[in-house]
Amino acid sequence: MARLIRTEKEIEGRYEEVWIVVEEDVLEQWPPGPLNVVGRPAPRGDGLQRARGEAIYTADLRLNGMLHAAVLRSPHAHARVTRIDLAPALAVPGVHAAIGPGETEVLAGECGFEGAPIAAVCADTLEQARAGVAAIDVEFELLEPILDSDEAVVRGSLLGEPRVRQRGDVERGLAEADVVLSAEFRTSVVLHNSFETHQAIVQWVGDTVEVHISTQFIWGVRDEVAKGLSLPPDKVRVICNYMGGGFGSKNSPDDYTFIAAELAKRTGRPVKCALTRREEHLAAGNRNATIQRLTVGAKEDGTLTALRGEYVNAVGWGGWSSPTEGPMHLLYSCPNVASTTYPAKLNQPPMKAFRAPGFVEGTFGLEALLDELAAKIGLDPLELRRRNHAEQDPSDDRPFSGKNLVECYRRAEPHWERRHEVRARSTDVVKRGVGMASQIWYGGGGPPSYAWVRVGSDGRATVVTAMQDIGTGTKTAMAQIAAEELRIPLEHVTVSAGDSARGPYASISAGSSTTPSMGPAVRAAAADARRQIEEIAEQRGDPDMPLGEVVALLEDAQVLGKGARGPNPTGMQVLTFGVQVAEVAVDVETGEIWVERVAAVHDVGRVINPLGASSQIEGGIIQGIGHTLSEERLHDPSSGAILTTSFESYRLPTIADVPEIVSELVDVPDPNLTNLGSKGLGEPPIVPTAAAIANAIRDATGAEVRRLPITREEMLRALREAEQRQRESERSEAPARV
Amino acid sequence: MKLRRASSVAGLEPASNSLLLAGGTEVVPLLRAGILEAEELIDVRGVVPRGISGPSIGAGTTLAEIESSPDVPDALREACRLAASPQLRNTGTLAGNLLQSTRCWYWRLNWPCRLHGGDACFARDGEHREHAVLANDYCASAHPSDVAAALLALGATVQTDRRSLPLAELYRVPSEDDRRSTTLEHGELLLSVELPPAGRSVYLKAMERKRWAFPLVGVAAARSGDTARVALAGVAPVPWLLGPAGLEAATPLPGNAYKLEIATALVKRALAQLDG
Repeated sequence: MARLIRTEKEIEGRYEEVWIVVEEDVLEQWPPGPLNVVGRPAPRGDGLQRARGEAIYTADLRLNGMLHAAVLRSPHAHARVTRIDLAPALAVPGVHAAIGPGETEVLAGECGFEGAPIAAVCADTLEQARAGVAAIDVEFELLEPILDSDEAVVRGSLLGEPRVRQRGDVERGLAEADVVLSAEFRTSVVLHNSFETHQAIVQWVGDTVEVHISTQFIWGVRDEVAKGLSLPPDKVRVICNYMGGGFGSKNSPDDYTFIAAELAKRTGRPVKCALTRREEHLAAGNRNATIQRLTVGAKEDGTLTALRGEYVNAVGWGGWSSPTEGPMHLLYSCPNVASTTYPAKLNQPPMKAFRAPGFVEGTFGLEALLDELAAKIGLDPLELRRRNHAEQDPSDDRPFSGKNLVECYRRAEPHWERRHEVRARSTDVVKRGVGMASQIWYGGGGPPSYAWVRVGSDGRATVVTAMQDIGTGTKTAMAQIAAEELRIPLEHVTVSAGDSARGPYASISAGSSTTPSMGPAVRAAAADARRQIEEIAEQRGDPDMPLGEVVALLEDAQVLGKGARGPNPTGMQVLTFGVQVAEVAVDVETGEIWVERVAAVHDVGRVINPLGASSQIEGGIIQGIGHTLSEERLHDPSSGAILTTSFESYRLPTIADVPEIVSELVDVPDPNLTNLGSKGLGEPPIVPTAAAIANAIRDATGAEVRRLPITREEMLRALREAEQRQRESERSEAPARV
Repeated sequence: MKLRRASSVAGLEPASNSLLLAGGTEVVPLLRAGILEAEELIDVRGVVPRGISGPSIGAGTTLAEIESSPDVPDALREACRLAASPQLRNTGTLAGNLLQSTRCWYWRLNWPCRLHGGDACFARDGEHREHAVLANDYCASAHPSDVAAALLALGATVQTDRRSLPLAELYRVPSEDDRRSTTLEHGELLLSVELPPAGRSVYLKAMERKRWAFPLVGVAAARSGDTARVALAGVAPVPWLLGPAGLEAATPLPGNAYKLEIATALVKRALAQLDG
């Protein structure tokens, strides 16, 4: 039965209180452990189509009469358009229309970052559209850019009020501490770099707008486009059958969709607006840089007495202030915690959510500082974490719906124990070490989300829901859940998804929420179908009749089940947990770092598809290694212009940078979360990777790296600083020896 | 833009707006970026020698071919192996690698810097962590060719359609009156590289990821009789033959002194490997 409730809705660590209609989740959870289909490795249902190039992505689509759009973007980090003439663009052969500042809300004459959209042109070919953009006559007044985040804070250039969070009394906690350590950490801007660039094709079909888009949120695009174009939402149809990566950067329709929509309206033709790889480096979002000034206080036995953080999120010209302070407040049972987080507004491209936004950055600072503390008091870093384990949410004392972090620590022990053997393989020049870091993040998903299940007389089932599979294997996981509940083979289930006109509302694929949001709805729908099939069997007088025989009676009739995602447990905190152990080698003369092995143990409740799960862990760790060692967007320090706009200067890891990866999952259903007990795994694996690597470097060399990425320069700086420290301590100890 | 296939060196006859094209891994991106402009591309693959014949390596030989040849000195083979990616090495040629332009981001983004005819070096006052630490007062660009450093250490000479010259003379440090970094004339065609008899040789490379990155510092060392020659990539606007002053002559910028530390370690290591 439908029920109206007031609940907290969480996406990527941001909470809102909402009224929401939910349906009761009446199904008992399945018993723990692998079942017939769920919990067993399943190759991707559409893997072959993707590998063969048969899967049609938005980037592959060519609609009849389709025009191509190109966008004039600001070449300056901060400027105002003083004059613009689109007429020369319209004179370029093949150009159909041109729009400038104000002609759609996303085009503006005030440019707050290099890459800000100013005008757009559509033409028969992309080359003609680009020629049109080049022909636009435009003049700028240059304005002073703000590029330094600390300066932005001092000058009050903020994108909102600083966020202050505290519990207990930090000053008292520090006074009670036997040891107090402070350090400053910095992280750099890194980019999502989705394989498929941001793009949309928009066409008007009668009074309906069709949007083909590479997106993580079909329904969000529908609602935002409807609002932007003043249309009823059902007059907007959003389609995304295959998706080439998003990592948090494709949650909204964004400028390219509204540019395509406006040009489509003016020309009466479908218009495609696709970002180039260069535009992707400028205007597709990023993980913002941070500055973290942290202090920890602890007793000699490692009990934390205080944690304090001043965080500056270098948000850019727009975006939001991600929860960089989150791990400090959630990870450990420390009575006194206080943080202030400043959202610096800079003349730099706006941030967007990026795979555990804030927590990746914040975990680096916090877990590196905790390791420095462990070294200072001579305590095993893993033992330090255990001693400060939080039994309930330390920020508000809510119970966790399910938490197996201690079990993660236990299962990490064999990997952690390798440190003695790893260190022993050091040479004078190449030092080896092992480091670990804990992971905490959200990932519980939530309502609303719906699915239908259709069973025909051939005994096959189709799951219908208007969700997107962003490349994570969601469709396969949903097919597994339906097959399990219907007790039919996995190959007999088809998933129809990717079209807002064909199926009910489905969750955003962000915040590690797709599986925990959609899975329970799919199971409920399959259970609804199964109940009806059992009712038919009972009417035939044989309640134990196999499904195949019951549905064989149907002929053209079908069994239609529907299901909804029930509520999250009231008054409980739903989080994911884990630990990673990294092994590194460091050349102390050249600063070269090799990550040789990463072992990951995560707790995300029940695992639906162990094969998909290990892929997620590997992907997260590899992306984390990129952020830790080689990826960094650079800008010119005086003008703010972006210098790294290609894959040559912006260095993603290649396969040669990928270590041995060992992934393990605790795989125990969260007893309080939905009919599945499953949480999401998209984000957790990237959270602790940087900190684990930094801590392994410290274990190997004694060097305290304080900045991501750990370039040769940063590694050598930290090594020399450690040598200096060593010399000073030897000098101060020298008299005692004499 | 037209594409013409040359059938003989004599028949090249490049016009002032022609560009010579072999592997295309450098020219095509620069054309796309608007840094190079041409009305005609002349495909020279049919006329530039390709292959390794004793001490002579055709300028059209791909890096992949050199890398897999047992007949080339270790330093050259290793420099090829550590350059670019397998795909690029399968296409890119020896001549193209020697004649490639700097990876300075300001230059690649077409900022009006000195190499582009302007009056400033934006890197010197800007982001220069990967830039030159030697001969960098006019232009701080770093020469990216691993292969050139190896050949310089090996004492190679270069044969063009007009002359023969030591590899060192193929390059020049850009100056106010001449902004070019090579001494090739327009339309001059690099035909082959000649290697003198070589003793032991080695190439070591530091980069910001394990593969497919230009050198922060590349160090080639080769034994020649009783002496060892050392040459570096990524540290100066041209491939740098280490003189008697060694790295003492370096003038690092505020943001790239760490490169000297790497260079010092790699030079020491390379020389030790020659002896070892």
